[in-house]
Amino acid sequence: MNRAALLWRVASFAVAAGFIALWQLIANLKLVSPVFLPGPDRAWASLVRGFSSGDLWSKLAGTLEHMAYGWLAASIAGIAIGAIIGSSRTMRTYVAPSLEFLRPLPVSAIIPVAIAMLGLTQAMALFVISFGAIWPIMLATIHGFGAVEPRLYEVARSLQMSRLAVIFKIALPSASPDILAGMRLSLTVALILSVVCEILAGLDGLGHWVLLSARAFRSADLFAGVILLGITGYVTSVAMSLAEHRLLAWQAAQR
Amino acid sequence: MASAAKRLEAVPGMPAPQIAFDGVTLVLGGKTIIENLSLGVRPGEFLCIVGASGCGKTTALRLAAGLYQPTNGKVNFDGQPMGEPRREIAIVFQDYGKALLPWRTAAGNVSLALEAGGMPSAERPARIEELLRTVGLPGHAGKYPSEMSGGMQQRLQIARCLAQEPKTLLMDEPFGALDAMTRQGLQDEVLSLVAASGATVIFVTHDLDEAIYLGDRVIGLLPHPGRIGIELSVNLPRPRDQLSTREHPEFLRLRRQLFDFIKATEQ
Repeated sequence: MNRAALLWRVASFAVAAGFIALWQLIANLKLVSPVFLPGPDRAWASLVRGFSSGDLWSKLAGTLEHMAYGWLAASIAGIAIGAIIGSSRTMRTYVAPSLEFLRPLPVSAIIPVAIAMLGLTQAMALFVISFGAIWPIMLATIHGFGAVEPRLYEVARSLQMSRLAVIFKIALPSASPDILAGMRLSLTVALILSVVCEILAGLDGLGHWVLLSARAFRSADLFAGVILLGITGYVTSVAMSLAEHRLLAWQAAQR
Repeated sequence: MASAAKRLEAVPGMPAPQIAFDGVTLVLGGKTIIENLSLGVRPGEFLCIVGASGCGKTTALRLAAGLYQPTNGKVNFDGQPMGEPRREIAIVFQDYGKALLPWRTAAGNVSLALEAGGMPSAERPARIEELLRTVGLPGHAGKYPSEMSGGMQQRLQIARCLAQEPKTLLMDEPFGALDAMTRQGLQDEVLSLVAASGATVIFVTHDLDEAIYLGDRVIGLLPHPGRIGIELSVNLPRPRDQLSTREHPEFLRLRRQLFDFIKATEQ
């Protein structure tokens, strides 16, 4: 890392530290009642307590599990369906209007439908999370498969490659930058919907923890949960970026 | 089908053509691109096709590749109807940047053709190294196409085509986008590669000098619709040489004839 980049990094940490200090100041001056707003010191203490007693670990694990299963299901289904639709112009023409209708539909609107059909169960959560997370992946895959260089298909034809080989050696790698970008967007969607499902269905996880803490006026625990959710979102997104960087090393060479 | 093949074989004193166009007409989108084109390419022959833009020379090449099917008439390969593209016929596209896989290294791009040919993975590395050495790219196996110059990328595409072990090599203005020095170097390399492999070549270019320098025969197409306007046999000694061949009186005579033809078509 060069000097300038290091300086920016230090500055960004300073800003974050400034916000925490401000938060502490507001809490100390009791501008907001401590019942609703704990200081960072109390939130931190609650985090430490939660982890040492093991409660928060299991909640975190629950949320990560919901998120991961929903996201993986969405990825597999999204890439498969997107590939089928994207690799055929006819399919794109016929299916695209239906997708345009379904896509802007708020996922929260289908939660009652899912609850009615599946009950307050893990299956309902899995369905809702993957339904919400599938869109960015599927639409990115359709776009990626539709944008494969036609010349490469001619190369494949002259090499008499099988249909399967064309998909795995030409279309999928060509669409991979789009697909990975879609998967990164979906990661955030999956986290949001995991929390929503935990709150609505009382499933074990950070969402449920936050809800119970709020109801019991345990503001420090509430904030600990919120902070942990923020960290979860940040860490998973950084991990995804690293994976993207590795998988798309050939693109870095292009610039 | 069989009768057409018989008829083409029956020309006395000529070996059976490897690629034979028999009264080929191609209509695309209501427009006649090529009309009643008959043409035979002997095994091992180096045929160059020239013509003004819009004369259908690239289209003729795509018909020879099987990428287009004729509206009327037949394209035969080794006496059999052409049908779909086949591995025995390799195509070097002009736009090498689009024809290479940007996510595969040089070695990976050559490997694509070997994989398609069903070569076991254990045998591939040695063959890839050999092919890259043949086209003058030793030591670049780990580079991505985007890290290579235009000339190197076109060499890489040629290496991938050679990996197909083609009977016929179709080249569509392969050096059109390269600078003059690189182009001359590659012309000589293609000539020696072709001489070594014995492959039949159809080479499309808009560079008349290039056509005469490379070819055994040069065909000039007339535009709208594309049809044969001139056919020249190039009786220049091989191996050809960038200086002495281009100064040869026969070269200059053919050049004059071809330039006059192109000029006439443009009026």
